Amino acid sequence: MTFANPLMLLGMLAAAIPLLVHLFDRRRPKVIPFGAISFVMKSEKRTASRLRLKRLLLYLLRTLILLAIPFALARPQFTQEATASTSRGAAATVVVLDASLVMRWSDGTSLFESGKNQAKTALKELLSEEPATVMICAKNLVPPAPLAFDRPRMLALLDEAQPTFESADLNRCLEAAAHVMDDSPMANRRIILVSALTQNALHLEATPPVSQGLKGDKIKPELVIRDVADGRKTLPNHAIVDVKAEVAVSQGPRAWQFTFTVRNFSDDAAKDLELQLKVNGEVVTKGFVDVQANGTAQKTVTHRFKTGGVMSVEGVLQHDALPEDDSRMVVVTVAKELRALVVNGAPNAQKYRDEAFFTEAALSAAGSPVRPVMRDSEAAWREDFSKFDAVFLLNVEAPTTEVAAKLTAFVEAGGGLFISVGDRLDPEKFNQQLGALLPRKMRVIKTAVEPNSPEVHTRSARLTTLSSTHSVMAPFTGKAAEGLTSIHFQRYVLFESDAAQGAAEVLGSLDDGAPAFIASRKGKGRVLVFASSVDRDWSDFPIRTGFLPFMQRVGAWLTGTLEEREDVKAIVGQPVTLAGGAQSLSRIRSPSGTESPFAAAGYGPEISAGPLPEPGKYTVIDSAGKEVESLAFAAAIDGNASDTSRHAMEALTAWAGEDVVKMAGPSGTHAETPIWTWLLITAAFAFFLEGVLLRR
Amino acid sequence: MSVLDAHLLARLSGVKLRARAVVEGVLSGQHKSPNQGQSVEFAEHKEYAPGDEVRHLDWKAFGKFDKYYIKRFEHETNLRAVMVVDSSGSMAYTSTALTKFDVARVLAAALSQLLIRQQDAAGIALVSAGHVREIPPRSAATHLAAIFDALENAKADGSTDLTTMADQLAEKLPRRSLVCIFSDFFDDRADALKRLLSLRARKHDVAVFHIVDPAELTFPFEDPTLFTSMEDVGKIEVNPREIRESYLEEFNKFLEQTRLACTAADVDYVRVRTDDPLDDVLLRFLARRNGGRL
Repeated sequence: MTFANPLMLLGMLAAAIPLLVHLFDRRRPKVIPFGAISFVMKSEKRTASRLRLKRLLLYLLRTLILLAIPFALARPQFTQEATASTSRGAAATVVVLDASLVMRWSDGTSLFESGKNQAKTALKELLSEEPATVMICAKNLVPPAPLAFDRPRMLALLDEAQPTFESADLNRCLEAAAHVMDDSPMANRRIILVSALTQNALHLEATPPVSQGLKGDKIKPELVIRDVADGRKTLPNHAIVDVKAEVAVSQGPRAWQFTFTVRNFSDDAAKDLELQLKVNGEVVTKGFVDVQANGTAQKTVTHRFKTGGVMSVEGVLQHDALPEDDSRMVVVTVAKELRALVVNGAPNAQKYRDEAFFTEAALSAAGSPVRPVMRDSEAAWREDFSKFDAVFLLNVEAPTTEVAAKLTAFVEAGGGLFISVGDRLDPEKFNQQLGALLPRKMRVIKTAVEPNSPEVHTRSARLTTLSSTHSVMAPFTGKAAEGLTSIHFQRYVLFESDAAQGAAEVLGSLDDGAPAFIASRKGKGRVLVFASSVDRDWSDFPIRTGFLPFMQRVGAWLTGTLEEREDVKAIVGQPVTLAGGAQSLSRIRSPSGTESPFAAAGYGPEISAGPLPEPGKYTVIDSAGKEVESLAFAAAIDGNASDTSRHAMEALTAWAGEDVVKMAGPSGTHAETPIWTWLLITAAFAFFLEGVLLRR
Repeated sequence: MSVLDAHLLARLSGVKLRARAVVEGVLSGQHKSPNQGQSVEFAEHKEYAPGDEVRHLDWKAFGKFDKYYIKRFEHETNLRAVMVVDSSGSMAYTSTALTKFDVARVLAAALSQLLIRQQDAAGIALVSAGHVREIPPRSAATHLAAIFDALENAKADGSTDLTTMADQLAEKLPRRSLVCIFSDFFDDRADALKRLLSLRARKHDVAVFHIVDPAELTFPFEDPTLFTSMEDVGKIEVNPREIRESYLEEFNKFLEQTRLACTAADVDYVRVRTDDPLDDVLLRFLARRNGGRL
């Protein structure tokens, strides 16, 4: 047994005080002549034996109190032989400190803080002739400095060390630690591993570290393990390991659903864990989730956003000892409410024969990004286009030059234009007035089969080629493509060849090679032309399953809300790649405010930055110094890093070999706690008993 | 509520003054003037003879019978009362203004004064360590002075000996008498109280005034104390806090046993605390006995 403050043991002399007081107490009692003395004598005789016992107990308790307090203050601790780190004599030493996410686990003091203290203690305990170095082990390996004797620099390195948000690769770190000792002239090698010893950090299927002697011989370094988790069997932890954000069309406009995957890394089931959904930092809804022991559960939360725009949505789970992985953020772009002017070129009193009937229905349905405003062509030309985000020209005669100029200005300024053809549309006149806006000029109307012919089903033109790259067509893949390929086109307009126009993009072509959908950008705006009619006169497109989603996506694309941006899956510790080269992006800003520049990634327009240091929302800054809101993204902790499952000591011993593994007890407060805490509890209990006895 | 508390009484010096204060308190408590008449009752008429008091002539009878008749009164001289005051050492104890002996003396003097006022004979017996100093009962007003003197000069000393007290009183009280005993009854002998109460069996009317000090009832001592006996050389050092519970148990048992013994022997039992208002004590005693009269 050793004592941290041995001088305090002198205080144990105070235990003699009760005895000395008893022996040398010369206080004169008060003398009182008393008439009823016979009753005093009777009482004294009656209680004498009990009083004698009570006095003896009081004496013992007081002595115990006076012994226990200075003994506890001397901070005794048991030392075991196995804790000696110098069992083989002087050795070159590398102290490896685990800086993985699990080291942030805390039950008052974080494992990392405790680990830092232990690493420092281990350094201080080294003999002065032992060369050493320190290695902070994270996922990205930073090779340790060469062996040296500069202990203050090593201690400073430990002081500055911070835990990461990712798992560590202890095998690589141990290997690197072994290699740094290769050139050491000392025959003995030692690695002191200060770690929580989690299974995700240390893989026992890998070979144990081996160092090389000066003569090229292999030396197995002694592995001194300092377990910061203090021998705990498990480190209970639960975490959100994934989040999936989807538009919830059935829940109304701007409704999204977020599916959080929660994992429980402990041997006890987690009941009624509170899960909060925060939008831009504000709690909007709460739910509860149960997760079985060592199991996974999913919780779906739906939220309807009041406004559109870029939103950072965060799921926050009830905090545990490792709160860093209890939240997960995702940045979503919520569609703004947009207005579309639908110009009906062929109104009809019979609704189903009306040119705009199906388009209005599609754009008014749930999930539509735009709100349609219906007008016939005369009324439409009087509207102020700047109040709309998109204009749908459905089988409209060629507008006047004045209106055409208005429309051109509208598109150039960022508006969207959809054009569908029909019997009212004269391609020649249309080319004249709006030729500059069209992706390709129209040529003639082609009739594949007369609309009322009995051979409609056999001779109609069909869509055979669909673009796989354009964002409007993104959902129409696989079986969903049937919604478009099943359309029968009886009549459609042919376009001039592409060479005349340039950047037009064909979204779908008919079996004769004629384009059915052509899109292009004009100025800041976009134009999409459909080669047939959107009523049932020239095709059966409006009654096909693809019509509603197609028109809604067209509305979204025209208004710029259907961003081409892919979902950015950013993981802490890994670099992030953004497809934003065209926007001259310069750097990203992390959640804590640090900025790092982008670098070109490969030969494409993509740029990358990172590795990302922490979880949370990252903002992207362009070369003008402005934030590009639409490119903001959130980085999340890798779900595997939250796994707190630990190795059993026996397994570690079996892995590295019994002859090299030494277990070192943690120094500092942890080891002392059991002894001196119990001594103080004993003293307090004795004090309480003394009080009880005195009252009786 | 009496205003005659122990502290006020203590300021009056001498048994006589204190007794008078108590008597006045008693009489005013009975709503009677202290100067109202004598305690006499009409008995018979007798024909006037020279030498008779002229003021006792019954003029109404003279009007009826034309003869002089003298009204004769029967004085209540048939009551003989002896105040037995325990003057042992333990009676000198006090934790308040008056010692138990002071209280005993004042009560005895006040009762004597009340008795002699109503033409009864009152005497006292001061008992200590087996010795009895007696002043025999007489009804003369001048006798009161002798009683006061004897009480004034008495000292509390010696041991309590209830047995001897009982024997000697039995001898000295040949006639049926009212015996008022003022004592703390601190006598350890087994049959002491029984012997004293046997006076009742001799047809004496016995009233017991058990005088206790508040400190004996509550045992308020805290620090380690050396208690010394007030009657002999006995002493004991104890920590009062440790034995308080046991002491109170013993003392209350003694009080209860004394009361039960008195009740069983058909003896009036009055417990008097030395801080009680003494006129109240007497009033309660008188009220209990005979509608305010002895």
